[in-house]
Amino acid sequence: MLALMSIDTTRRRPARAPSAPPVHPAYQRRMRLADTLQVLSVVSVALVIAIFLADGGAVRFTTPADALTSLGILSGLVGSDLLLVMLLLAARLPLIDRAFGHDRAMAVHQSLGKPALYLLLGHGALLIGGYALADNSTLPAEVWTMLTQLPDMPLAFVGLALLVTVVVSSIVVVRRRFRYEAWHAVHLLAYAAVLVSIPHQLSVGGLLRDGSIQRYYWLALYAGVAGSILLFRFIIPTVRSIRHRLVVAGVDRVAPGVVSLRLTGRGLRKLNASAGQFFIWRFWTPGLWWQAHPFSLSAAPGGDTLRITVRGLGDASAALPTLPTGTRVSFEGPYGLFTERARTSPRIVLVAAGIGVAPIRSLLESASFEPGGATVILRAPSPGELYLADEMAALCARRGATLRVIAGHRPAGVDSWLPVDAAAAGITLASLVPDVGEADVYVCGPRRWTDAVVADARAAHVPTRQIHYERFDW
Amino acid sequence: MRKRASAFAALASVAVLAAGWELGVQAGVQAGVLSPAGTAAGTAAGTSDSSGAASPGGAPAAAAPAAAAAPSGTFTGSAVQTRFGPVQVSVTIAGGAITDVTALRLTDRDGKSVAISNRAAPVLREEVLSAQSASVQNIGGATYTTEGYLQSLQSALDAANF
Amino acid sequence: MGTVVSLRLAGPAGDAGESVRRAAHAAARDTFRRWDERFSLYRADSELSRIARGDIRLTDASRELRDCYALALDWRDRTNGVFTPHRADGVLDLSGIVKALAIHEAGGVLAGLGLAGWSINGGGDILVGGRPTPGSDWMSGIVDPLHRGAVLAGVPQTGRMRAVATSGSAERGEHIWTALPGAPSPYRQVSVFAGDIVTADVIATAIVAGGEKTLDESTDRWSIEVLAVLRDGRLLATPGLRRPAS
Repeated sequence: MLALMSIDTTRRRPARAPSAPPVHPAYQRRMRLADTLQVLSVVSVALVIAIFLADGGAVRFTTPADALTSLGILSGLVGSDLLLVMLLLAARLPLIDRAFGHDRAMAVHQSLGKPALYLLLGHGALLIGGYALADNSTLPAEVWTMLTQLPDMPLAFVGLALLVTVVVSSIVVVRRRFRYEAWHAVHLLAYAAVLVSIPHQLSVGGLLRDGSIQRYYWLALYAGVAGSILLFRFIIPTVRSIRHRLVVAGVDRVAPGVVSLRLTGRGLRKLNASAGQFFIWRFWTPGLWWQAHPFSLSAAPGGDTLRITVRGLGDASAALPTLPTGTRVSFEGPYGLFTERARTSPRIVLVAAGIGVAPIRSLLESASFEPGGATVILRAPSPGELYLADEMAALCARRGATLRVIAGHRPAGVDSWLPVDAAAAGITLASLVPDVGEADVYVCGPRRWTDAVVADARAAHVPTRQIHYERFDW
Repeated sequence: MRKRASAFAALASVAVLAAGWELGVQAGVQAGVLSPAGTAAGTAAGTSDSSGAASPGGAPAAAAPAAAAAPSGTFTGSAVQTRFGPVQVSVTIAGGAITDVTALRLTDRDGKSVAISNRAAPVLREEVLSAQSASVQNIGGATYTTEGYLQSLQSALDAANF
Repeated sequence: MGTVVSLRLAGPAGDAGESVRRAAHAAARDTFRRWDERFSLYRADSELSRIARGDIRLTDASRELRDCYALALDWRDRTNGVFTPHRADGVLDLSGIVKALAIHEAGGVLAGLGLAGWSINGGGDILVGGRPTPGSDWMSGIVDPLHRGAVLAGVPQTGRMRAVATSGSAERGEHIWTALPGAPSPYRQVSVFAGDIVTADVIATAIVAGGEKTLDESTDRWSIEVLAVLRDGRLLATPGLRRPAS
């Protein structure tokens, strides 16, 4: 069984004493931006609570009815604010992509879903309870009163029901049973849930009463979020797709079930895509038009061509090898922080498994490093499942990077990213790349495998800011 | 979140919350819990019954008269948040008993704060001010022509009185 | 002006009182005649009729007419356009404000004559001053538009209720152009009690034309009392017109 195959294309340099790498100014800027965005979202929550306090809410906890009502109002305010943060995270804002990367933003989006829902369910329950206590009526009677006497309440209930549907359908267990597009369609009901809840927020209770400053703030918040979503999630991608007229120029067979698609269009330089980024593609042929796929560029973007390399997984991707030339392609992007922009040190280690080699290949082409300052590690269960291997070898030779190809199945039941025998021999990332602690490590591959590589890198004392990986399961 | 960002976020949040709290306290002072308002204003507002139908279910915190030395005068309670918006009442106390309660503030369906003390509300005919027709000197009504009813009614009165 | 004015004068009995009363009578009649001559649309030779026909331009009209027009425009602004001196066909119709102004002027004349009390009823709009008899107030009844012989309310006209004007949408055709698009007024009759007759008259007209929104805005904004009769006969009243709970 092939265990280790090493193509050493550089002269061996004496190992340098490990020293703290200088912190890149671009990294500083990015982290400041990330910090600012995080602080803003926390402060936004504090702001809505302050709105409640400024209205004199702090004293309205004296009776049980008042206390329940006030808590209900608070949870509604905070829950709505979290929902807005979630919507912004999913709005594909360039600022957020640049600060965190789209995948990380979506991970935060996912984690906020249940808390927001619980807060809003609490909002409903607490207010029904508080009003019922104040009116001395039963809960069902109170619900009926609210529905008939208060303005815009039926819509509010509908909004909550929609939100429950969206969150429940996104639980992993439920989500797995549906195909992605069906799940996504249900998920978009979230926009409806938010819109439909706005009237009752403005008309019931008097906190956001006509003419008050907090009403203006609330409306401005919603307007800002809506505007951002419309612009960055819908309008800009549509306009770009129309303007750049991307079509399939050719399909190259890379391996059984794996193809590279070459796409051409107009003025692609204006997209400002970087190596390592991905787009969300939509191919306009009868079988594929209703699906959108995130695929990374597998060559550094340049001129008027973009290349992606795709493995036929699932029914749709299987149709890709037979895409006719000239098929129109619409896209959203470029997105992703898996790029040169995330660099913090002059040395670089690229680790790829399977089809994860695609963005690694584009990075290898354009990342900046001195000859000898880069190591590329390719993993595959077997040599036949190494994709773009010859391109990788040629690039490594040309650029003076060390290439390590490691084929072999991973050990079962153990969290290792290396094949059975390598893992047994105690080989780690550090042993493969002695000065990995001073390099940026880019990892791309299946999720569990990536996690194993990242764990290994951390164990080798690579600082977190130097470890880069991307998730595609959002 | 990084440590520095967390610290900054916490600080900023505390500042924002404190500002909100302060504004709330000030608003409470203005509304005046048990602050005596001028009796003139009280009587002007308090000449009529507050229409209980106007505040369905909301529990306005009527300022209870202080148990000790029974004060006299008109007192305005703080504005209480109900689902219909802020409700504020004033009570007139004389000789240690509440003689009148008036709702000062209510919101209408649009959430606007209105002084309800002077809105036109549905009434029954028996509830309207009335007197025996005999004691009325003038009859008012929509403009009538010389052939109209009113003129005859009025002229009957005129004749009777002159 | 196509209407009848009733005058009541209260004063000391005896010859001195009688002559004062006769002087008051004459002064009031004179006032109304002057207003009628200038502003009545029912007289072909009145200044307002001539302007309506186009014989004279508004800019050439007398100062009194132009002042009256300016006042009407002021009230148009205050009622957000619900009350307006311009008819739908473009004719300038100051009748909505002229009668009230005439009553107002006559009242001023009467007030200066030293009477113990007086009341003017011009076509259903009433302005009072003083007392009819010592110790009592001028009492006015508001007619029930559905039962002409009956009276809805008997109101003592004191203080800020010394003037009352009533507008209806049933008498003499729909002469109030409603601000509600295409809809008849929700009110069959609206009576407004105010401190002066012009305010009462304009607001009563505005409420009939503007509907519930104008009613609420008016009671919020001005110190008035309102008794309104809905089309089905139900009543709306401000607190000052309610019988005190005994």
